[in-house]
Amino acid sequence: MIKKNFIIIISICLVHFFSNNAQTVEPDEILKNQEQELRARNISKNIRCMVCQNQSIDESNAPLAKDLRILIREKIKAGKNNEEIYKFLTDRYGDFILLKPPFKLNTFALWFLPLIFFVIGIFIVFFHNKKSKQI
Amino acid sequence: MKKQLLIIPSILFLFILLTFFYLLTIERNPSELPSNLLDKKIPKFETESLLKNERFVSSKEFGKEIILVNFFATWCQPCRVEHTYITRFSNEKGIRIIGINYKDSPKKAVKWLSSLGNPYSDVPVDKDGRIAIDWGVYGIPETFVISSKGIIKYRHIGPVTGKIYKKINLLIKDIE
Repeated sequence: MIKKNFIIIISICLVHFFSNNAQTVEPDEILKNQEQELRARNISKNIRCMVCQNQSIDESNAPLAKDLRILIREKIKAGKNNEEIYKFLTDRYGDFILLKPPFKLNTFALWFLPLIFFVIGIFIVFFHNKKSKQI
Repeated sequence: MKKQLLIIPSILFLFILLTFFYLLTIERNPSELPSNLLDKKIPKFETESLLKNERFVSSKEFGKEIILVNFFATWCQPCRVEHTYITRFSNEKGIRIIGINYKDSPKKAVKWLSSLGNPYSDVPVDKDGRIAIDWGVYGIPETFVISSKGIIKYRHIGPVTGKIYKKINLLIKDIE
């Protein structure tokens, strides 16, 4: 009985896992040029859906996400490069629209504090061991 | 000496606890984000007007007086809720409000304004939502306060409530 339930739960999880990977990009949005479409999808994966906030616009069904996906594709077709597209979006929505925080002066703490704490930790362990050896 | 040092972790812990408690008690909406356009010039736009025959050109309208910009749609329920406050801004305070009609049916919008009353001096139409993207809008209703120099001074996401109404009124007194 338990085994049967277990199998059911696992299969539900698997179904969910695969359905999450289902495409939200609608057929009418897809560009004919495969290279351009791939670029659009890669950019979309890095752009936060401002409505759902923990999804990228590539995965989100929100109307604004769709609008932004189309906008990105239009910009690619118009010959804009990736930096120009990212700049267009951050100028309007701020750095928060990027799922990965950029490397900047005001994000210094965010990127380096873990490393600093790690180094402090090593020092503490090192000095602690030194002391206990003496005793 | 060593015993005295042991107090440091507890002080740190207390500090963390107080920080969390403070963040819990203050009124704050974590999903609300500051506008990237604050203290910047308004994004220019040109579009058709819902009620007038001439086109709406932003450079002609902004930069003379304090103006409120309100993104609204008939399909948006909170827009209906905030409508009384938006009306009070124009009726009681005499502030010019530009209502940008976001991804809406023009017919429904005209009907909505005639039945609820029209507080807007002009209603530019944002048919495909591109103007909203230029303004960094992500959830309507959104309200912006624009200074007489055409600079964005404040942005509110969500319906204008009594509290926000007072806040905006105080702010308007402070800016030119």
